[in-house]
Amino acid sequence: MARSKNYQDPKLEEKLKDRKYYATDSNPDFLKEVEKIGQTIAHMCYQCGTCTGSCPSAPRSSYRIRLFMRKAVLGLEEEALTDPDLWLCTTCYSCTDRCPRDIAPTDVIMAMRNLAAKRDIVPRNFLQTVQLIYKSGHGVPNNDVNRAARVKLGLEAEPETTHKYPEYIPGIQKIIDHYELKAKADRLVAQGE
Amino acid sequence: MAEVNKKEEQPRIGVFVCHCGTNIAGSVNIQDVMDYAKTLPNVAVSDEYQYMCSTPGQGKIADAIKEHNLTGIVVAACSPRLHEPTFRNATKAGGLNPFRFEMANIREQNSWVHMHQPEEATEKAKDAVRIAVAKASKLEDLYPKSVPVEKTAMVVGGGVGGMQAALDLADAGIKTYLVEKTPTIGGRMSQLDKTFPTLDCSQCILTPKMVDVFRNENIELLTYTEVEEVAGYIGNFDVTLRKKARGVITPDEAEAKGIVGGGCTGCGDCVAVCPVIKPNPFELGMAPRKAIYVYHPQVVPLIYTVDFDSCVKCGLCVEACGDKKAIDLEMEDELMTVKVGTVVLATGYEIFPIEKKFEWGYKNFDNVITSLEFERLICASGPTGGKLIRPSDGDKPKKVAFVLCAGSRDTTGIGKPYCSRFCCMYSLKHAHQIIEKMPGAIPYIFYMDIRSFGKMYEEFYYRIQDEGAKFIRGRVANITEDPETKNLYVHAEDTLLGRPVDLEVDMVVLAAAIQPTAETEKTRRLFGVSCSQDGWLLEAHPKLNPCGTTTAGVYLAGVCQGPKDIPDTVAQAEGAASAASIPIHKGEVELEPYFAQCIEEKCAGCGLCVPQCPYSALALVEKDGRTVMQVTEAKCKGCGTCGGFCPGGAIWMQHFATPQIVAQIDAFLLGGEQ
Repeated sequence: MARSKNYQDPKLEEKLKDRKYYATDSNPDFLKEVEKIGQTIAHMCYQCGTCTGSCPSAPRSSYRIRLFMRKAVLGLEEEALTDPDLWLCTTCYSCTDRCPRDIAPTDVIMAMRNLAAKRDIVPRNFLQTVQLIYKSGHGVPNNDVNRAARVKLGLEAEPETTHKYPEYIPGIQKIIDHYELKAKADRLVAQGE
Repeated sequence: MAEVNKKEEQPRIGVFVCHCGTNIAGSVNIQDVMDYAKTLPNVAVSDEYQYMCSTPGQGKIADAIKEHNLTGIVVAACSPRLHEPTFRNATKAGGLNPFRFEMANIREQNSWVHMHQPEEATEKAKDAVRIAVAKASKLEDLYPKSVPVEKTAMVVGGGVGGMQAALDLADAGIKTYLVEKTPTIGGRMSQLDKTFPTLDCSQCILTPKMVDVFRNENIELLTYTEVEEVAGYIGNFDVTLRKKARGVITPDEAEAKGIVGGGCTGCGDCVAVCPVIKPNPFELGMAPRKAIYVYHPQVVPLIYTVDFDSCVKCGLCVEACGDKKAIDLEMEDELMTVKVGTVVLATGYEIFPIEKKFEWGYKNFDNVITSLEFERLICASGPTGGKLIRPSDGDKPKKVAFVLCAGSRDTTGIGKPYCSRFCCMYSLKHAHQIIEKMPGAIPYIFYMDIRSFGKMYEEFYYRIQDEGAKFIRGRVANITEDPETKNLYVHAEDTLLGRPVDLEVDMVVLAAAIQPTAETEKTRRLFGVSCSQDGWLLEAHPKLNPCGTTTAGVYLAGVCQGPKDIPDTVAQAEGAASAASIPIHKGEVELEPYFAQCIEEKCAGCGLCVPQCPYSALALVEKDGRTVMQVTEAKCKGCGTCGGFCPGGAIWMQHFATPQIVAQIDAFLLGGEQ
């Protein structure tokens, strides 16, 4: 059956588009790649939902780790990699702890993020995190509120990190540059503006 | 000893290559293998057929033996486990000794594993045929030995499976020992309240069977007894039993001792005075019992038991018992040995320690219970008189969550990889019981699949759904507890809705996985029975011999072989009883003649082999003024330990003799050159 009805109005075409799953939607290599990068047996998922039930992100968002597992198994590469929910995992590994099939769903998500990044699909806040780490060595740098709180608790204002020893920042930059991550982040952020 | 190489005739071997449809012919070039066989030494004829195991295929073997005056047969086909008996019969039909047959496995070990390498598979098949021909050229006539079968049987385990097997054997006229480790028969089924899908009261349908067992003249009921040692073989097992000290004697035992009108009548006077209180394991620790106890009022036999681990020997019970003189606090374990022809193992199961899956909080949260505890709580004769209450406060729960696949279908290494098979159905039954007994209460069933596989089971599922049980398709991720109210929060995903669920309930019932009983491992080792990876006892063939084991004369009934519900357990028990009665009714069994034989002229009588034998089959004897070794053939399993060990080469392993094996190795290494 034709997947397009050739409505003249593009809005109508989009609204009434065929949403069936067709075998041609699948890229079987996607599952293989995800398993290779994630080093986990994603194809053994039996969709019990323990992962979503364990997920601290799920109750407060539309993120459903189980659906990403399903998309990995079906090879729905486009759907998985372009879904903004992919970036809502906090990598707490609760799902990995509890999965009765000993799969690491977290690592499936990380693998998909890898593949998405290769295709320049990364949300802006993640790119900005790269820039911040490049600059300060921290994804969430220290700030005045924090400093005051630390002093109040009897701690030094700056933690034992690059904040206190900025001489190590060039080392971090070298690692990031090796993967050309900063250049990529800069480029994508600029493109977005 | 057997007639070793008496006839130094030139061997004439017939080789038959089987296509097995396309099972073998799909990857092995049959014509090629057949032509190759013709070039091998001693091969008189080589042939092929679509299905060698079929009647025409077998006919080819018999005809060729007569036509070509063959001395040995090689069939290149499947595994000898499958068709060796078939082709031995065909060899016999042709007038040869059946042990003149040798099988080359070119299916399981070749075509099936080398499906995509036809050339290599064909070469490997040629190797296998060449090796088999080398052995067939050296085979000798052997004669199976018949041993008489003791006309008694033993059943180990007194649950519903063991009871059914014992009843069937006894009704078939066979004296049967029913050995049970606890003080009463009845097993797990006597702990259940109702049974699915008929909702029969479990005790009501079980107790008549228990009484039948007790009354049956052919059954010797040995409760509070364990298997200590097993010697012998099919037809002649010597089983040593430990009758654990029960501290109480039966009326029969009292009579034998000359105490008129004595022995335990089950009156219970002793219980009233006993000062020691312990948890009752029958009630899973939810009710007390004394140090002198019965599990429940319907036990069979109705005899009290003293728990010597907790008894303080105060003697109050002895006083209370009075003239019946039934109690003997100095009683000790007794060992007894019985001779039986066949054995049925029905050792059952226990609940997996579900607290190991700590996300569900069993043993941590008061109101998380297992389904077996639920059975006792909902049972009218249980610790609460059939009132389902919360352990934390005794209140009636209004919302009860059921966690299915709790520890089953779990490949993390903590739980069990298999489906425990009856949890779906009993959880449906539990939901029904809640709706029936507690108006307004709602059962929530968290499931992955509802496996309602049996007769009328799917209809039962329909009925429970119609009654108002709530079904949520999603495995429970974890459970948390409100420390104040002791209410529980069940976290899961409703996978059909695609939304996480956080459900507050008053009670959670875990449908915990099951595992073999702790004693199963010991018992199976005593009887020499194998187990599968997960500890369940291994049947001889999963489809075609589900009651037998690889140890002749030992059969399996019930859950010890793998999870199954009551109908399947009873069916298998009847099958096992039938199988176990066959050798007894035949009166004798044939043993494979793979015995070790002593070549007396070579034997130095050193006796070094005797302690090597795992089956105690060897002994030194005096013969014609010399000390030589002698094999008790019925005990010998042909394992070859002695044969490989003998420093003088004086032990001949029939059918696996050194010249035969050397010929096989030569054939392989020398590639057919002699």
